[in-house]
Order: sequence, then structure tokens, then C-alpha cells
Amino acid sequence: MDAGGDVIVMNQITKRFDDVVAVHDASLTVRAGEIHALVGENGAGKTTLMNILYGLLPRDSGDIRLRGEPVNFVGPAQAIAAGIGMVHQHFKLAPSFTVAENIILGAEPRKSLDRIDRAKAERDTAELGRRFGLEVDPRASVSALPVGLRQRVEILKALYRDAGIMILDEPTAVLTPQETRELFATMRRLAEHGRSIIFITHKLREVLAVSDRISVMRHGRILSTEPNQGVTAHHLASLMVGRSVLLRVHKTKARPTEDKLLSVESLTAIGDRDETAVADVSFFVRGAEIVGLAGVQGNGQDELVQCIAGMRRPVSGRIGICGAVSEHANPRSRRASGLAYIPADREHVGLSLSSQVWENLTVGRLPEFSRGVALMANAARRRADELIRQFDIRGARESTPAASLSGGNQQKVQLARELTRQVRVVIAEQPSRGVDIGAIEAIHRVLVEMRESGCAVFVVSADIDEIFALSDRILVMYRGRIVADLIADETDVEAVGRLMGGLHEQAEAAVEFESAARTGHVH
Amino acid sequence: MSTEALAARRRRASTLMDGLIRPVLGPILAVLIAMAVGAILLAAVGENPIHVYATLAEGGLVGWPNLSVSLQLTTPLIFTGLAVALSFRAGLWNIGAEGQMLMGALAAGILGYAVSLPAALHIPLCVAAAFLGGALWAAVPALLRVCLSVNELVVCLMMNPIALLLTGYVSARVLKAPGPTNKLPDILDSAILPNFSLFSQLNAGIFIALLACGVITLVNSATVRGFEWKILGVNPRFAHYAGINVGRNALAVFMVSGGIAGLAGAEQVLGVYKAYYDNFSPGYGFDGIAVAMLAKNNPTGVLFAAFLLGAMNAGSAVLQMTMGVSKYLVQVLQFIIVLVLAAQFSFSWLRAGARRRAASPQGEA
Repeated sequence: MDAGGDVIVMNQITKRFDDVVAVHDASLTVRAGEIHALVGENGAGKTTLMNILYGLLPRDSGDIRLRGEPVNFVGPAQAIAAGIGMVHQHFKLAPSFTVAENIILGAEPRKSLDRIDRAKAERDTAELGRRFGLEVDPRASVSALPVGLRQRVEILKALYRDAGIMILDEPTAVLTPQETRELFATMRRLAEHGRSIIFITHKLREVLAVSDRISVMRHGRILSTEPNQGVTAHHLASLMVGRSVLLRVHKTKARPTEDKLLSVESLTAIGDRDETAVADVSFFVRGAEIVGLAGVQGNGQDELVQCIAGMRRPVSGRIGICGAVSEHANPRSRRASGLAYIPADREHVGLSLSSQVWENLTVGRLPEFSRGVALMANAARRRADELIRQFDIRGARESTPAASLSGGNQQKVQLARELTRQVRVVIAEQPSRGVDIGAIEAIHRVLVEMRESGCAVFVVSADIDEIFALSDRILVMYRGRIVADLIADETDVEAVGRLMGGLHEQAEAAVEFESAARTGHVH
Repeated sequence: MSTEALAARRRRASTLMDGLIRPVLGPILAVLIAMAVGAILLAAVGENPIHVYATLAEGGLVGWPNLSVSLQLTTPLIFTGLAVALSFRAGLWNIGAEGQMLMGALAAGILGYAVSLPAALHIPLCVAAAFLGGALWAAVPALLRVCLSVNELVVCLMMNPIALLLTGYVSARVLKAPGPTNKLPDILDSAILPNFSLFSQLNAGIFIALLACGVITLVNSATVRGFEWKILGVNPRFAHYAGINVGRNALAVFMVSGGIAGLAGAEQVLGVYKAYYDNFSPGYGFDGIAVAMLAKNNPTGVLFAAFLLGAMNAGSAVLQMTMGVSKYLVQVLQFIIVLVLAAQFSFSWLRAGARRRAASPQGEA
């Protein structure tokens, strides 16, 4: 573990963006052959610090030494040449190219007349995959690969350039628990080969599972670097947030009411690529219960939620909200029948980032602020001020543009707008995505409060920890179908993870659950 | 403490900067760049740029005769600029103001001679008909867009020559007045918008333009519709999500926009020409696009932008007469202004994109 010396020494790095100090006097040392976790909330400066190391951003002060030599990268090309590889959160691959083409892109092997030597590219790719246990078909088109394999291609790409240091930026965000476990095995194998890995994340369970040393960042500073042994998740969390946090919101046992406030019957819907995205899905959510929909992204959850919200027209099936059943609905009628929908896509759907906070809080609630044709803008601004206080939306005044708020506070704007209406059904889609730990706690508390007040709460999340933190009942969606309907207390992360990955030995059981759910509707 | 005070002052200064100065910075810069490029062109053809610009400014601004011509040429641009700005603000690309103006003009031209009424009724009737004519012409691209998702840009563009040919057919064949010119019969005196300048065709239509400007300002800032249209413009998916009826609002915006463009036609027929003349417009509908861009879709800005272009057009006639410099030079200047504005737009758009990309890995720095 402690095999080599220090490969990277970043000393007192500081980076300012206008008035904001994004990285403040941060020092980080990475040893050869170690997995070094860099943890911190969104906006703590982790990615900025790594972008400085990778040459994407210039630093204002401080120095960087690579294997003892001072370096000053201008642009990633120099960093790559020096053996640093970075796998970004959003993959940077050309989807229409093959695996081998993506891997060699920018460092192509040549044959005579400056032609690309494809055969060699494919041989090299296969050989590299074998050596590190990362097999991928070199000729497969990247667009046809699942997310986990695309990530593998990114890692191979860095290895192809002989990266001795790999930066992985939130690599597990898009993976199933099983894919995550495979990634961790890969990371360990790479470390055994003497490569150093910097693992950026904010998921504490993963940090403790895989890393050798852990550095915690908050407000641009590195607060501590400690070996993994003897560190607890609670300790890390309080370091990250600066105070003690509840990792799991307190809630009592659910006492659901009899009425199925949200009911979906035999719903089938077509996705944007003309595929059957939702296939004959039926379920219900009763008053005063939280039902979580688990699933790897892209298994039909988005389309299902869009149908319920009236934003996508299903092919067949019925959706009922508080008893108001309709086949064709629009967002307006759904809202009117008592639905509050918190979309995952705050940038394009749930908010208008260039508009001010009061405008974001007023859209969708215009009848409250209109007198005839006139808009009572002052009343709307005053109410916005109240909501900002009530939901503790930090850094916001009514006239602040929503774009300047952090992810967590943007989420609070959505919650404040949707949950203070007369609603009985709440759909929260990826409620904690891009939200910092401190705010996650507050958001989860609000959702539990909605349950306590008798609402049916439907949480859609690709984050299995979130599903378990909130749900009374868990549905698992896989390839457009609901493959399981489980009581949260009677199952575990492993079982749900297997179902998410389509490995359900309990396939028959799932069918039973489904049919039970359907018969449950009939009476 | 003192650093806090300093920061507060800087914040105040920057809000002033944001509120008053920054919005007009781009347009002013565009005009200056256009003038600089124009100066190079002038020097290349052997003219003294300073002398030319001075003549242009004098011809557009100095003395009531010149000024009244400028105002006359400003009036239709206020209408068309307002029409385009209203639709652009709502994220709809109505570039068919030219055709809508022609249809409005035709409606006003027909009712102006065919109906006999006292002036107090006749003028409002013709104006209303022009509004309706423009609105109905605009309803075609709007309905195609709302019902069939046809790109409104393309339809608007095609509707312009159709309107020109249709009005040409009506004024040359169907309702042609006797005589050599392709025009409708002269409108009755009761339909004439009173002229108040000896030196130009400046008429009471300019008050209708100012009124329209005031109404749109009010709609934008103080009504529910105006609020919804703004949200529709910045983020239509958000508007749809929040229960705003996107289709119905798009249709409404388009028809009001077309109606305002139609008013430009009424002003031209009732105030300037006193009859519908075939092919009367030098492209006021297209200039409206430049006006809206220069005004950044702000109704008050439209007044200034329309006056700038109107005065340039007026000055260019003087320029041609006194110095023999082609009036097309002024058109070149106007085109450069639009180019610079478009470049600024895409530049700030790219910059915002880069900033988003830089910030996105961490959400928010």
C-alpha cells in the first residue's frame, strides 16, 4: 500500500474566480500506488483542484511537483504527456466511433503514408484490456455500450497514454452497485500495478470501501488527509459539512392510508428513440407513504414520470391522481388535480435559471398573483421572500437569478414552489442530485414531512442510498418494467442492486409482486 | 469593516452597471463598430468619413424639416420593431412582419375608400382592420407551428413574398384604381390620419405608435400574459411543465405581433400615401428585425432604435443629394450593425456555454 514515494505534491494551491476563492491554500500529496479519495460537498473545490493539476485551469499561486520535478501544465496535452489521465464525470467519447478508435484518438498509431494503423490499434486495445482485466470488444461502437463499459473505455484511454496517475471524477455516479464493485476491483488492480488513483466523490460509503487515504475538502481548503483505517462515515461527513449531519433522516414507521392517491395501471409509453420505454407498468402509492423507484438511469423512469406529470402521452394505460383518472392529460390538469412534480432536470424543466428567484417561485402559481389580467408582482416578490426564509434558501433574495444559486438551493426553490401548493401527490425525481450533503438532509426532511401530512410521495432515484434512506416501499425498474415491489425494511441494498442490474433470480417472485400490485388496484 | 464597505460600494456600483449601463453597451458598441468599418469603406472610395458622417447627422437631425422626415421614417419602424420584439421576447421567430404589414395596409386601404363613415369611426375602423389583417396573416405560421411543429422561421419567410404578390394582384387587377399606377382608389378624407408637418408625411400615426409602445410595455411588465410570454421565451419546457398553455400563448403572441405589424401598414396607407400603392414598402418589416435586435426586445429600446434607423435613412437621402454619396452606404452601415449585434449575441452565448461547462463538474462553485 505504502509502496512508493510521493508522486504528486501540490503545495498551497490557490485559485480565484472573480470574487470567489474556489481553492484556498490547498496542499495534497499523492503516493505511488495508492488510491487517494478526495471528498467534499458539491462546490468544495475538488474538481477545480484536479482541473488545475490536469492543466485545464491555471492556478493563481502555489506549486506542483510531479515525481519531485516542478511542473506547470498549460493545457491537458502536457499533463497527459507527463502521465496524468483524467476520467471526467461526463464521458468525453465519440459515440459513433469504435472502442479502439476512441482509445487511440489523438495518439494514433501510424503506418506508411501517415495512415492510421487500425489493426495495431485494435491489437493494442485488446492487449491493454487483457493486461488490466478490462476487456472490451475493440470493434464495438461506443454508442452501443452500456455506461459501465464506456467508463472502462475512458480508463483504457488513459492507460493507453501510459498514465501513471489517474483522476476519476465522481466515477460511480452513473453505475449500478455491481458495476461500482467492478470499478473498485479495477482501481485496486491498477494500484497494484503501481499506478496512483485520485478518486473524487461525495459518497462516503464508497470512500471507505476502496481508498487508502482520504483527503477532505471544504470551502476550497483541504482540511485533513488521513489513512482509511479508523475513520468513520460520520466523522468524514461532519468534516465535509463543518457540523454534525444526520446521514439518514429520522422517520417513524409508515402508516399508509387506504386511498391510492397515485395509481398507474398498465401504462405503456414510447421513448424518444421510438423504443418501448415503459412496458405495461402498474403500481400505486397510498397516502402517507413514501415509495421509492430504484433503477439504473435510462430504464424508463424518466418516461414513466413524464407520463404521470402529463408531459408525455402514453400509448396506453391509465393514470389516476387523487381519483382523477385520465388517459390524456397535460401538466396543467395534473397540477390542478393535486400533483407536485420536482423534476431532476432543474436547468431545462423545473426552473428557468436565467430568471429571478421570484419569477421561478411564481410560475405555475399565477392565479394566486393575478387580479384580472394584472400581475401582482409585488405580492409575488413578497411571498418569494417568505418562501426563501421558510425553506432556508441560502444566498438568495427574490431578485437573485436562479443560476447563481448552488444546486441544493435551486432544489429548495423547486420544493418551495411545488410543496406549498395544495398537493396530495409528490413526485421527487433524483431529489439530491447535484445537491450537497447539508442540503440533502433538509430536502429529505421536507419529503418525510410531506408524508407525515398525508401525501403520497414517490421518489425516483438512481442513488440506492437515497432510495433506502427515504422509502417505505421500493419498486425496482429494469428495461421499462417494474421487476419488484419490496418492503424497504425487509430487503437490502444487495438485493435491490441485483434487481437493478437485471439479475433477478426472483424473476417469478417479481411477477407475483406485480400481479399483486395490479389486483390490489381492482377493488 | 472597511473592506466590507468597499465590497458594498462595489456591489452597488455593479448593480448600477448591470441595471443601466450594461444593457445599452452592446448596441452602442455595435453602432460604433459599424461606423468605424463604414469609415474605412468611405476612405477607400475617396470620401472624407468625418465629413460624410457630419452630413448624415445633419441631414437626419438638424432643423425641423430634416427631423420631421426622420420621424416619418421612424414611425413604421416603431410598429414593426415592436412586433418583432414582442415575438422574439417570447422565443418565437416572427420575421414575417413585412407580409403582415402589407396585409394590414391592404385591409386599411380597402376600408379607407369603400366605407363611408365619420372620421371618429372611420379611422379606428381602418386601424382595427389593419390590426386584424396582420394578425390573421400571422396566424398561418403560428397555427402551422403550434399544430404541426413546422418551423415558423421558414413559414414567415415564405409568407412575405406571398403577401407582396397577393397585394400586388389585388391592387393591379381586382380593385385597381383607374390610371397608370397599380394602386387602390384614394381613401376618403374621413380616413386620413392628420399630417402635422409641411416638410414630410409625418402624421398622427406616430401617436398610435407611441401608444402601442406604452401598451406593450405595460403588458410585458404588469400582466400575467406578459409574464407567461417572458417565461415562454426563456424556457418553453419550464413553461409547459408549470402548466402554461404553450400552444395557445404562442398563437396569441404571434397574432398580436402580426397585428402590430399590420398597424404599420395602416399608418402608411392612412397617413403617408392616402391610398394602397403596390409595393410601397422599402422593407420596413425587415428593418423591424434590426430594430428589435438593437433594442434587445425592450419596447422603450424600440423607440430609440427605430429613431436611429429612421434618422439614418432620412440623412442618407440628404447625403446622396448634397455629396453624391450613395444612400446604399447607409444600408451597409445598418447591415454591419446587425452583424455586430448577431456576433455579440453568439459571443455571449458561447461565453455562457463555456462558463456552464467550467462550472458543471462541480455544480456551482
